[in-house]
Amino acid sequence: MTADTPRPLPAAQRLRLSDAARHRWAVVSRALAAIAGGYGLAALCSTALALWLPLARAEAVITGALTSFAVYAGAAMWAFAARTAGRAWAGIAWPSAVLGVAVWFTLRGTGGAA
Amino acid sequence: MSAPHCLLALAACVAAFAALGLAMDRHYADAYGRGSEPSPGQRRSLRLAGVGGLLLSLWACLAGAGNAHGWVLWFGIMTLSAQAVTLLLSYAPRRARHALQGLGLLAVASAAWAVLSA
Amino acid sequence: MKGGFRQSMAWLHTWSGLLVGWVLFMVFASGTSSYFREEISFWMKPELHRTPAQPAAQQAQAVEQAVRLLEREGAGSPRWTIGLPDERDPSLRVSWLPSKPPAGGGARPRPLTVNLDPATGERLADTRATRGGDFLYRLHFDLHYMPAMWARWIIGFCAMFMLVAIVSGVVTHRRIFSDFFTFRPRKGPRSWLDAHNATAVLALPFHLMITYTGLVTLMFMYMPWGAQAVYKGDEKAFTAEAFPNARANVPQKAAGRPTPLVPIAPLLEQSRAHWQGSAATRVVVTLPGDANAAVTIYRDDSANLSANYASMVFDGTTGRLIETRGENIPPASETRGVFVGLHMAHFAGPLLRGLFFLSGLAGCLMVATGLLMWAVKERPKYAKALARGGRIGFGLRLVDGLNIGAIAGVPLAMAAYFWANRLIPVGIAGRPDREIAAFFTVWGLAALAGIVWPSRRMWQVQLTVGGMLFALVPLLNPLTGGSGLFTAAASGHWNLVGFDTVCLLLGACLLTSAWWLARRQATARGAGTQAPRRAAASTAPAAAPLQSEPALVPARHALGAAESASP
Repeated sequence: MTADTPRPLPAAQRLRLSDAARHRWAVVSRALAAIAGGYGLAALCSTALALWLPLARAEAVITGALTSFAVYAGAAMWAFAARTAGRAWAGIAWPSAVLGVAVWFTLRGTGGAA
Repeated sequence: MSAPHCLLALAACVAAFAALGLAMDRHYADAYGRGSEPSPGQRRSLRLAGVGGLLLSLWACLAGAGNAHGWVLWFGIMTLSAQAVTLLLSYAPRRARHALQGLGLLAVASAAWAVLSA
Repeated sequence: MKGGFRQSMAWLHTWSGLLVGWVLFMVFASGTSSYFREEISFWMKPELHRTPAQPAAQQAQAVEQAVRLLEREGAGSPRWTIGLPDERDPSLRVSWLPSKPPAGGGARPRPLTVNLDPATGERLADTRATRGGDFLYRLHFDLHYMPAMWARWIIGFCAMFMLVAIVSGVVTHRRIFSDFFTFRPRKGPRSWLDAHNATAVLALPFHLMITYTGLVTLMFMYMPWGAQAVYKGDEKAFTAEAFPNARANVPQKAAGRPTPLVPIAPLLEQSRAHWQGSAATRVVVTLPGDANAAVTIYRDDSANLSANYASMVFDGTTGRLIETRGENIPPASETRGVFVGLHMAHFAGPLLRGLFFLSGLAGCLMVATGLLMWAVKERPKYAKALARGGRIGFGLRLVDGLNIGAIAGVPLAMAAYFWANRLIPVGIAGRPDREIAAFFTVWGLAALAGIVWPSRRMWQVQLTVGGMLFALVPLLNPLTGGSGLFTAAASGHWNLVGFDTVCLLLGACLLTSAWWLARRQATARGAGTQAPRRAAASTAPAAAPLQSEPALVPARHALGAAESASP
């Protein structure tokens, strides 16, 4: 988490304070990644499965929804296990972006999104 | 679920967890005296008895309650048994060996009963 | 995060558990009691305690009695529902929607319900108005005093936190196998950790299952995106394809041509034959007496793991079979049905239901020990501040207060609910809401008291009162019109015996906890002169759980603080 660029040495007090504040911001950032980013990723995964699984419509939709919570939990754990807050976001944002684009194209292809 | 299957499932499961617990150094020492630990042979047979007991308990659940209910019932019985054995090993560890032997006998008896009454 | 995967998971586990722990305790407590909601409802209607315990009539006979009553009282109603007697409820439950919507519009009309003796058709004593066990069941996911949607989002949020807490807890538990049976009592924080581990790990399959299946129960509300993308807003198609139990496609509007209803008993026979002997559980008649009438017979699938059930729909004027529903369910839908079924445990017989109940109690203890353990571990950080005459921090004080409000307050409120059921006079307006108000009033007061005075004494008071209320239920029961333990056993009403016995046991547990707390305090008081030193020691290895708490009080006294809020 402190694997950032080495900082110059300010007064000892200021160093301690901003370290604590940075730590707190990192936690908030990770929590956001976990709660909001995780939900987004889970939603995209469930949509992707619903659209792409070679099953009857309802079956695919149900499968996507059933598995979404495991994805959500996994993403949340990743957000706190990643070495930095930045990596936490990257690990959730990149797959979401890829899936999002793919889903968007699929929906466009089948006559427009809902 | 019939009485013999029920009894067998519970007895075998508690006995199994007691065996698995006693196979661990910490609990063996509590039961047999400080510093003692099971010999490799003893540990192996305790663990085998434990796994065997769990499988026997599973068989009893499936035979007594059908394929679907049986699995759910087995997990429930394992939960109850594991908690009972935990309390036994912490509050009365020396009784654990007697419990193991007694329940083992009970399990065998109820297995016979279950098979005979089938 | 702070060095190491396990450590980051430990941090995640602590906070995901702590932040929603109090809500989760209430969810576990109300959910666990819901396993016996029919039994609770039965206990809360003492007028029914004298009825025969076993269903005394064939279903055909019962349904005829029901129809006779419905033709008299429910003529013109758009919908009749007949609940056929079964093992868990031997009465014949008949309900119908009022034919005219109630004055004042807006809310959906509540059906009128009557219980009949299935053999004679006689109306059983009108039971007192009460929500019974259904209140606790609804509390579990709809909370109360707020729109259901909000409640379900809140609960879903907490459930998701719980799922993360469980998985991170398993990951971070280094010695999950070697500590499997470990429980070391009387060793302070270590004991709380052991208790938390034991109740969590030993019932882990249940906890994991119940949390995930709980989310699945409302999954289309939490994750509607797949359905929206695939069905593009066509809700009707989605419902028809994804939900085998959805209401059959029968006419909802009357044709206006009065036509006699076909006799239902032959239809019951036909359905039983089609289902190869399986009994029916419910009959619903839509638009009886009209040309568009339809009769739907639901199969008794309570023995199936899946929550999906089969039904047959007949034309209400000719008796012609229109369709069969809920047979041949595809795999994903069946999986969802099993997930929901596992959560509801509708299939569980007495032994299995008892095991579910015990596992639920383990869940309550898991949450409680987790919350208490956090407070116990946090307290030594204030040892220096206390030695200087200060107070513990706001965060810890709040956690202490919320712990009391949840862990001691919820059982107290539940006991108060049962007492209110017997003490509130029958026949007054809005009776069910008054019983519910009693629950929330007591809970609110308990929580408030806990937050204002988060002390050991407050724990003792609330645990003792809750314990007394529960333990005295078997006395309250016969004194207020119900069947007491022995009468119920004699007449075969084992559900009543069970209710009274479990209340007695719960009361005993609560009282034992209060007594144990008092004993700990006496031991601490005995070493009162050492208190200031103990308050300064941050890790007294022999400190019992909450041992540092009485140290707070003598320390304050020793320093001459003029506070009166203390034991």
